[in-house]
Amino acid sequence: MRRKRVCFVGYGSTEYSRKSEEPLLSYYAQAIRAALDQTGLKKSDIQGFSVTTQSSPDYSPHVAEQLGLELDWVLNGDYGGAGGVTSVRRAADAIEAGHVDVAVLLGGNSFDKSVFQQRPLEYQRANYVDVYGYGGPNTLMALVQRRHMEQYGTTLDQIGKIAVTQRENARLNPQALLRDPMSLEDYLKSRMISDPIRLFDCVMPCSGAECVVLASEERARSITDKLVYLVTDAERINYQVSNMLPDKTTFGIKVVGDRLFAEVRRDQIDLFELYDDYPIAVLIQIEDLGYCGKGEGGKFVGSHDLSFKGDFPVNTGGGELSVGQAGLAGGFLHVVEALRQLRSEAGPRQVKKAERALVTGIGWLSYGRNLGTTAGLIMERRA
Amino acid sequence: MAEKSLPKINKIDQPFWKGAAEGKLLIQKCRACEKLQFFPRVVCTGCFSCELDWVQAKGEGKVHSFSWVFVPRNPAFKDEVPICYANIILDEGVIFESRIVGTNPQTVKTGAKVRVVFQQTASPEIKLPVFELAG
Repeated sequence: MRRKRVCFVGYGSTEYSRKSEEPLLSYYAQAIRAALDQTGLKKSDIQGFSVTTQSSPDYSPHVAEQLGLELDWVLNGDYGGAGGVTSVRRAADAIEAGHVDVAVLLGGNSFDKSVFQQRPLEYQRANYVDVYGYGGPNTLMALVQRRHMEQYGTTLDQIGKIAVTQRENARLNPQALLRDPMSLEDYLKSRMISDPIRLFDCVMPCSGAECVVLASEERARSITDKLVYLVTDAERINYQVSNMLPDKTTFGIKVVGDRLFAEVRRDQIDLFELYDDYPIAVLIQIEDLGYCGKGEGGKFVGSHDLSFKGDFPVNTGGGELSVGQAGLAGGFLHVVEALRQLRSEAGPRQVKKAERALVTGIGWLSYGRNLGTTAGLIMERRA
Repeated sequence: MAEKSLPKINKIDQPFWKGAAEGKLLIQKCRACEKLQFFPRVVCTGCFSCELDWVQAKGEGKVHSFSWVFVPRNPAFKDEVPICYANIILDEGVIFESRIVGTNPQTVKTGAKVRVVFQQTASPEIKLPVFELAG
């Protein structure tokens, strides 16, 4: 479907830290304050509030209680890495339905050990995966990567190019924690974690938070003259779940892409902020979005410039691979970077023509398949 | 010191683990639509029927993909690294997550034929279905 009257009006980010044990609530508060400062909105303007969480029930209302927010709408965004995009979708629904005019959406992480983070019961993971000594998502994505390499001849050079190019972008992003130069050789020689996944295929956990502010068009005009519209959005949860012989190298992003491109042409997208928990995930998303055929992602990556100044700009701020993954801020980082680009606020890494951006979010790995949650949206700058 | 993860057996998957303890690899089959499925569930993922039977799989299949795990999520498994974690396609047409063990696991390749064996865990009642390269 095409959205008609929902705008992104602001965002807020915190500094990222490798070691900080500052309370998570403090990161949330800093991200919200940054967004309020940018938009000129007051705390009392916030009607809707979402926190992406893997924590206990009622997490969002409890965070709101701590922050002193009285609300008309609240969301516990339980979508893992897809949370940045899926919470935008939920908030856009609430705005279009007339429930709220302004909503603040959050994701973040801290190594604060005083906050007890109880994961929900994961029966299939605990009983049928963990018992074999797997290496977490690194192993589950390694199975996908090996399959892609063997089935389609995708090479480590092609996969590594994604990580290397994103590092080049990150060198111009002060928020990024990893800004040292990285060569393809550095990538190839990095420590093996879960073969074929190496250290530089993995994101670095850190502390930090991201905040996105969404508003109705009418309200947006009074907040900012940099109007960025949500054009269209889609998600696919549990792709192939009932297929006992799933295709491991195709994500639900294929379905998401078909829906997005029913509204906007592929060649109208200027930049891509693709959830990058691993470079192979970026490569497969490029295929699933239809920019090349299935299995041709390696060749596509090899023959295009993925940097912010290239012909196919991907993860222009360095992505989670180089910025760091502040837990569930990861899914918001891509939304926020797209907003920076579309508002011409990306400084030295500004993409020259940045009118339309495609953002994806992907979350958790399901039994025997690949991503459990996949989502995408297209946003557009209008004068 | 962390301990190696063991399944928290529940009402639904108790027959699976009882079968494994007796050397049988059981998967679910829907009485209504005959679809086979794994992991064990309350309902059929094909037709939503709750009438699920347990059938014994032959325990043979092929390696669909695998990863050598050097950094296990649960550090208690560190004494076994590298662990050959694998996806197996059972001959019955169901994908199965497990690991490859046996005398020559380093020769594993995708497409290799494998056969189930049952590995004793620290709990006397629990055996894990794992796979060895066949032939």
